[in-house]
Amino acid sequence: MEQHQDPENPNQTLDSATQKKHASMLERLSNLQQTRLQQSLARKSDSVSGPSFESTQSFITRFSDSKLSIESQLAGARLTSDPQRRSDLQQISTSIADLEKLIAENSYYLPSYEIRSALKSVSELKQTLDNLNSELLPKKKFSFRNKGTKKEPSNAPKEKEIGNADLQQKPVFSIPDTPGFRNKEGELLVKDFRGSDIGEFTISDLDSCEVRLSGCVRTIFIHRLKNCRVFAGPVSGSILIEEVEGCVFVLASHQIRIHYAKGSDFYLRVRSRPIIEDSNGVRFAPYCLCYQGIEEDLKDSGLDEETGNWVNVDDFRWLRAVQSPNWSALPENERIGTGSFSNYLRERNHGSNAYDFATSYKFLVSSLVEEKT
Amino acid sequence: MGLLSIIRKIKRKEKEMRILMVGLDNSGKTTIVLKINGEDTSVISPTLGFNIKTITYHKYTLNIWDVGGQRTIRSYWRNYFEQTDGLVWVVDSSDLRRLDDCKMELDNLLKEERLSGASLLILANKQDINGALTPAEIAKVLNLETMDKTRHWKIVGCSAITGEGLLEGFDWLVQDIASRIYVLD
Repeated sequence: MEQHQDPENPNQTLDSATQKKHASMLERLSNLQQTRLQQSLARKSDSVSGPSFESTQSFITRFSDSKLSIESQLAGARLTSDPQRRSDLQQISTSIADLEKLIAENSYYLPSYEIRSALKSVSELKQTLDNLNSELLPKKKFSFRNKGTKKEPSNAPKEKEIGNADLQQKPVFSIPDTPGFRNKEGELLVKDFRGSDIGEFTISDLDSCEVRLSGCVRTIFIHRLKNCRVFAGPVSGSILIEEVEGCVFVLASHQIRIHYAKGSDFYLRVRSRPIIEDSNGVRFAPYCLCYQGIEEDLKDSGLDEETGNWVNVDDFRWLRAVQSPNWSALPENERIGTGSFSNYLRERNHGSNAYDFATSYKFLVSSLVEEKT
Repeated sequence: MGLLSIIRKIKRKEKEMRILMVGLDNSGKTTIVLKINGEDTSVISPTLGFNIKTITYHKYTLNIWDVGGQRTIRSYWRNYFEQTDGLVWVVDSSDLRRLDDCKMELDNLLKEERLSGASLLILANKQDINGALTPAEIAKVLNLETMDKTRHWKIVGCSAITGEGLLEGFDWLVQDIASRIYVLD
């Protein structure tokens, strides 16, 4: 282009622009050259301080020095406290990067074996740092969040909540008056609601116990029972059962909800359809309890008629027309009263006062009465 | 003239309100709806799915969506959020053990953008049961005071069995929704 330059050319302004460009390019080139020279000079002066210029020996000394210092830093990071740890690990990471750069800068004269072994040491250091990172620093949990603007108001109260929840839940959950049986093992637990003003009753955390409740109550909460037997008079509200295993329940209520039950039998009289959720191996049979005055209690609670609902179980984990595999009707010959319950009573009679209770309280399964007469 | 104003116009003409009833299982949602509607509450099975009730309340038509509260079906609540004018959160005041669960589910619900404009009525149900917490105690446990300031909310103690407190709660809810939507009347 320059060769065709003509002073008369109307494009002269444009040409002068190209000339300017050309000049600036030359300048940049010379600048680059200059810096390169300076760098090589610096390298030379660096090497001068070492035993020889561009010698493998001097590289190895420098390399092993910094490698040692990084290793000691890595060992030290374990001992520092949490807030400092993050910055320490960050620094080690930069030192390793520097070391890598050192290898790269000197690679042009190093024998290939030295390069390989140096690179190997660096990758080992990186691995150690990675391990340390994952071990010492908690990972940030990944989660989807709403837009940033929404986040702040929802976060601020949350922090308060934790403090408040601690303060407030204590008085709530340590209310000593909430009637119930809790944290027992291998005991016979008896309660008569007649003449009391108890509304709700809790049965929780029992192992190998027998619970006998007579009289009416508004609601029963059953939670975490293992190998227990629970016999209860009518409940005019609802019964909520969660986390039971290997148990037998004899219950009458307006509503019954069963969650997380495993291998348990339920003898029910319910006004509505009982439901199960997250349960398996549960079996159902009709209610069969007898104690003095139960007829009256059942009548008072509107549960004096058999509804047949004990077999109308809804499984919330099985929303199909086909029978749920999680529950079944208990075959008649396996129901209590035809042997198993009385055996159980006899077992218990040895060394306990269960028999006294049974006779004095007349808290007997109806068929058991037949058996004795 | 946006979509919102069109919706408002339509709603104003029909005087309809969409109300969503949610809460943990066993809290008494269905019983409350039936009680308000004057129906028999003695035989109610746990809700498998949902019920819709249309109730004429003063001069308004309430479409009440009563959605089952069992854990398995709580994830379907979201399907009912759209265009909700009023949210009714029902608490079993006698179920102390699951108040944590109750709080967590409510907190999740209130984060929902589609419900951000809905008035919130909290019914502390089962006040008739001896040993139930009072509405004030429930409000503390649920930490209602820290709720977003833009939310219209109220907590009312009630009993679905006796009917006590239900009208007070729904009166407030309907008034609050009306004052937001039918402000031009």
